[in-house]
Amino acid sequence: MTEPGSAQPDPRQPDPAQSDSRRPGPAQQGPGQSGTAQPGPGQPGSWPSGPGGLPVRPGATPYGEAGVARRLSPRVLLIDPIRMLPTLLLPLAGVLVAGGFSPASFGWAALGVGGSVVYAVVRWATFTYRVSGDRLELTRALISRSVRTIPLERVRGIDITTPPLHRLLRLAVLKLDTGAGGGEQEGELDALTVEEAESLRAVLLARRSVTPRPQPEGSAAAEGTAVDAPARDGASKDGTPRDGAISARGAAAGRTPGHHDERIIGRVPRSWLRYGPLSGAYLLTPFALIAGAVGLVFQVGGELRVDARKARAVFTWVEGHPALLVAGVVLLILAMPVVGGIMYAVFNWDFTLRTRDGYLVAERGLVTRRAVSLERRRIRGYELVDGLIERRFKVVRLWAVVTGLGDSETRGQLLPVTPRTYAVDVASEAIGPFATPLRPHPSQARRRRLFRAVTPWLVVAAAMFLLGWEVAASAALVLALLGIPLGLDRYRSLGHAYDGTRLSVRNGSLRRGQAVVERRAIVGWTLRQTVFQRMSGVLTVVAGVGAGTGGYPAVDTGEAQGVEFAAEVTPDWIGPFLASPNR
Amino acid sequence: MKGPLRDPAHRVSRRAIALWLIESLIGFAIFFGGALLLAFWIGRSDWAVVPGWLSDHAWLLPLVVGVVMAPLVIIEPLWRYAVHRWELSGDVVYARSGWLSREWVFVPVSRIQTVDKAQGWFERALRLATVEIRTASHAGSSTIKGLDYDVAAGFAEELARRAQELRDDAT
Repeated sequence: MTEPGSAQPDPRQPDPAQSDSRRPGPAQQGPGQSGTAQPGPGQPGSWPSGPGGLPVRPGATPYGEAGVARRLSPRVLLIDPIRMLPTLLLPLAGVLVAGGFSPASFGWAALGVGGSVVYAVVRWATFTYRVSGDRLELTRALISRSVRTIPLERVRGIDITTPPLHRLLRLAVLKLDTGAGGGEQEGELDALTVEEAESLRAVLLARRSVTPRPQPEGSAAAEGTAVDAPARDGASKDGTPRDGAISARGAAAGRTPGHHDERIIGRVPRSWLRYGPLSGAYLLTPFALIAGAVGLVFQVGGELRVDARKARAVFTWVEGHPALLVAGVVLLILAMPVVGGIMYAVFNWDFTLRTRDGYLVAERGLVTRRAVSLERRRIRGYELVDGLIERRFKVVRLWAVVTGLGDSETRGQLLPVTPRTYAVDVASEAIGPFATPLRPHPSQARRRRLFRAVTPWLVVAAAMFLLGWEVAASAALVLALLGIPLGLDRYRSLGHAYDGTRLSVRNGSLRRGQAVVERRAIVGWTLRQTVFQRMSGVLTVVAGVGAGTGGYPAVDTGEAQGVEFAAEVTPDWIGPFLASPNR
Repeated sequence: MKGPLRDPAHRVSRRAIALWLIESLIGFAIFFGGALLLAFWIGRSDWAVVPGWLSDHAWLLPLVVGVVMAPLVIIEPLWRYAVHRWELSGDVVYARSGWLSREWVFVPVSRIQTVDKAQGWFERALRLATVEIRTASHAGSSTIKGLDYDVAAGFAEELARRAQELRDDAT
């Protein structure tokens, strides 16, 4: 990177010109301020006296330009001890047992409990957050003082979750997705009151779109008369009037907090929860539950003096009753779809997808309610996924392809298992339609799919037969036979198309995925051809996209077909390199 | 492929053959050495798992590895030199690489995020350089190996300059 010939135009780096054009205010924070976060003159006593006593400057709105530091909701203090209980339980029991339940031991235990409560209170009292200018600052001053500054420019989505305890107390956890790849880098506010979380979300998202930007070629000049500077921002970025309009209204909503431009795009009826087990999701939960129970038994067993001898006795007893063992296994297998279905229903209860201020918000969950906001400007397409069984029932799942989204497998989900026609309608409304039929791939592709599905098992079968293991050999032979329909189906899945704005590729059988991606999201093409593909005269065309999985392949297209596909989507990129026809 | 694509205009430096030769020699040494070690171990062991006929003929393994791989040590660099080509025209980088399996990459300059010029040990000794062109996606990124150092420097400079001018932030 430091080589003389290197260039690094990072798209996420805020333009210096842009921060200069920010509206100057009395409490505008200097660039060096974030590192120290001294309480400014505007906020005397940022560490105020009473619980919830927020030092509101006269005339300043909450989250105003002055950036008043705020605390999390004090109600979270009721949750904290309960959350600490599991970790405290064993040490406490240990202290009590070791002390022989003497008064002194109770004293120590009480001290431990009291200490943890005090710790929670101090942690709550020393954590503040504030929106200041164009960034969110999270300040921790428990032992050492640390300030995390998150530029609102970087906020790509906001995730509001309400776990059961939080729900009882009307609290919510707000997470900021900054595209930093999840984990520590992202901001988390645990917990705010539900109202506060909602209004903070509105403020953060509105701020996000109000940030002025340099205007490239004034693309939105014709947008409309009432559209002002902040609205142009949204429109100019992707040039589509629809998104522009939404962002305009979003900016307007930001100025009058409490009002949202909100529209429900999809609401999954509860009767469709029955499709859940078809997806194969959560099918393994019974096993996970059992594993958890076994782990717990071992953990508690240590305390209750269950030793290896007793465990072995249990095992021999089970061995002596094979019928019980078989019954247990059968029960487990029967439980798989039932428990899986219940888990699915719990997580996907009342799934709703709506647009709000230029964001797509997907909300779901029975016990823990989760709302994920995805910025529409960053959505580049979608992916329709269905498994073998799901296809039989004509149901699919829907994901958004979003640039720089961490944990996209859960955050990017737009619809759980729903009928295909419905999912396609929702996708066209939320992101964009794609109706062009897919072009099939040449017959060599079918041969290759079949070969790859059948041959490995044939080889295994032959090897097993030579080694004299007939049972294993015949099992492999059965798998080889099953490979025939599988290979044919994998071939049927293959396809690609382009409709002028979006391209689509599809592949896979056991998990078939059709990706629909906007043309403007493509950052390059890779054409690959292995030796075997060259012998068959096919190649794989990968559309490089700076979102989702990074590349969407059209597998085994014909040599000419693949190049033509790339040339059709981006003629100026491929055209200069096509061989002249008269040669 | 004698398909619809024409060859990129420029070959890489002729000295790249030497670079690939060194690399394939190292690969050969590792494989051959590994085979020798394995054969030695199998031949010495009187483990019941290893059948007798295998431990008796263990010396065949390095022999086969050597016979199969030795020609490839020579063939691969020459073949790669024939395949590896690159070009920048119409503000699109077009590069071809590989030998048995091939790869064609098209990267428009407007989508480039970083351009790196890197030199390994051997590349330094041979006055060669690698230009790595990165976009937001691994499938839209390209690595052009075995360029003459001065050519690589000029190419990277040109790319960086054009990328700055053409920035397109759609991704």
